[in-house]
Amino acid sequence: MISRRDFVKAVSGAVAAAGAIHPLLSWAANDSPVVIPGEEGMIVRSARFFDLEMPAEFFDTWITPVPHFFVRNHMHEPSTLDGETWELRITGEVEKPLTLTFADLVRMEPHAVTNTLECAGNGRAFYSPHVPGVQWQKGAVGTARFSGPRLSDVLQRAGVKSSGKHVMFHGLDEVPGKVPPFIRSIPIDKASDSDTIIAMQMNGAALTKHHGFPARALVPGWIGAASCKWLSEIKVLDKEFDGNFMKPGYRMPNHALKPGDPLNLDDSHVVTGLTVKSVIAGPVDDSTLRSRSIHIHGAAWAGEADIAKVEVSTDAGATWQAAQLGREHSRYAWRLWSHSWKAQKAGDYAIWSRATDSQGRIQPATAEWNPSGYLFNAYDQVKIHVEA
Amino acid sequence: MWKRNCRSTVVAFFLLASCLLLLAHAQSPELPAGPAQAKVTTACLECHESRIILQQRLSKGAWTKEVDKMIKWGAVVDPADRDSFIEYLSTNFPPDKAAEQMPRVAADKKH
Repeated sequence: MISRRDFVKAVSGAVAAAGAIHPLLSWAANDSPVVIPGEEGMIVRSARFFDLEMPAEFFDTWITPVPHFFVRNHMHEPSTLDGETWELRITGEVEKPLTLTFADLVRMEPHAVTNTLECAGNGRAFYSPHVPGVQWQKGAVGTARFSGPRLSDVLQRAGVKSSGKHVMFHGLDEVPGKVPPFIRSIPIDKASDSDTIIAMQMNGAALTKHHGFPARALVPGWIGAASCKWLSEIKVLDKEFDGNFMKPGYRMPNHALKPGDPLNLDDSHVVTGLTVKSVIAGPVDDSTLRSRSIHIHGAAWAGEADIAKVEVSTDAGATWQAAQLGREHSRYAWRLWSHSWKAQKAGDYAIWSRATDSQGRIQPATAEWNPSGYLFNAYDQVKIHVEA
Repeated sequence: MWKRNCRSTVVAFFLLASCLLLLAHAQSPELPAGPAQAKVTTACLECHESRIILQQRLSKGAWTKEVDKMIKWGAVVDPADRDSFIEYLSTNFPPDKAAEQMPRVAADKKH
C-alpha cells in the first residue's frame, strides 16, 4: 500500500535530486553524458519525445532498477500532474460509471506482478530494410515488480454490461499538433485477468512521472503500448477501439511479408503478446577479453509463456550448448541465464543466443520483417576478441 | 497541510523536470547544412528533438511517407516546400549511412 507519507517522500526526493543535479546539466556532443534526474547510464534516443534505452550490460539483474528502466513516450508527458486532484473515470458499457481518486485506489486491495515490459519496437534498428521510428536496439525492455488494484476489481465495482467486450485506456499524454491521441484497448478477457492491474507502484515506490504517475495500466506479457501511462479514463467498449494506435498502428501482417512490402491492413492483426527472445548482457559487444574462460550471460523472456531453455553457440550455429537458467522466476518475468565457455585459442569470435519457450516457440535466426519494425526477436549476437 | 505540501512539491518537480528537458532539447545537435535545413528545423523541431531525425536511415519513398504523415499530423510545411523536405531528408539520412551514436545519461554514483 502507498501511504501518504511514502508518497510525499518519493516526490520530495525527486525534487531534491532535480535541484542537486540541475547545475551539472550538459549535452554538448553526442558522446557527452547527459544528466537527467532519476535516470542513470541510459542511451538517449530522444529527449523530446522522451525515449531512453537500457544498455545491454544492464541485463544482469532480475529486477531492473527504475533508473535503468527504459522510457517510451509517444507524445509530451503531462505538464502538470497532481496526485491530490487526479481522478480516474470508469465509463462506457458499465452499469454505474465511477470516478476514483488516488486515495480510492490506494484503499483497494493491491496485487503485485513481476513483469517484463518490452516496447513493441524494441530491436527496430536491426531490421533491413530500415523502418521509421525510434531506432531501439536491445534495451527497450525491463523487468519490474508492479503493484496496484486489479483492473477486474475496479470493473466489478462499475458493473460491466454484457455488451462490454473491450476495455480502452486513455492517458494524459499531451498531444502535439493534430496527432491522434494515444488511446488503446484490450479485450475484456485480458482486462479481467487477475494479473492485469492498475499499477501505482514500481519496485516498491510510487511510479515516477516517466513511468506513468499516478497510475498506469499494466497488461502483463503484452507489448508495452498496452500498458498506457498517466491513466485518466478507462472506458468499456462494445468493440475494439479503432483509433490510430490500434489501426494502422501496432499491427502485424497475418502472413509473412517480403522485406520492403507494405502492410495490407485488411490482412493484419493488432499486436498483443510478446514473442520469445533472449539477449546477451555479457561479454559486451566488440569487447576484447584477456582470458579464454568466458562467462556468457543475459536474459530471456516470452511474454505470457515461460522460458523453457536458452542455448548458446560460439561456432555460427553449427552447435548449441544449453545455458543454465537463473533461480529467480515468475510468470511474465524474464529468466536470467548464464553459460561458461572456454575459447580454444586467441582470436575473434561471435557468440549467439537463442531461447525456446513453453509453447514451443523458438527464437529464429531472422525476425519477421514488418513495416513498423515490431517484435524483433532474431538470435542475439555479440562479437568479441580474445587475446590470451 | 499534506495536501498543500504534496501539491507544491509535485508542481515544483514537474516544473524542474520540464526545464531540464527543455535545456537538454536546446543543446541537441543541429541538423546538417543544406538548402532546406532552416525550414526542416523550424517545422520538425517544433515537436521533436533533432536526434529522432538524425537516427533515421530511410529510402526516399519512406521519407516521402513520413513527411506526408507529419504534415497530416500538423507539421507546418508550405506545400511548395514538401519536395525539398523529402530531398533534404533522403539525402542526409539514407539507408546506407552509418548509424548515429546516441549520448548516455550520466551515471549517478549515489544510486
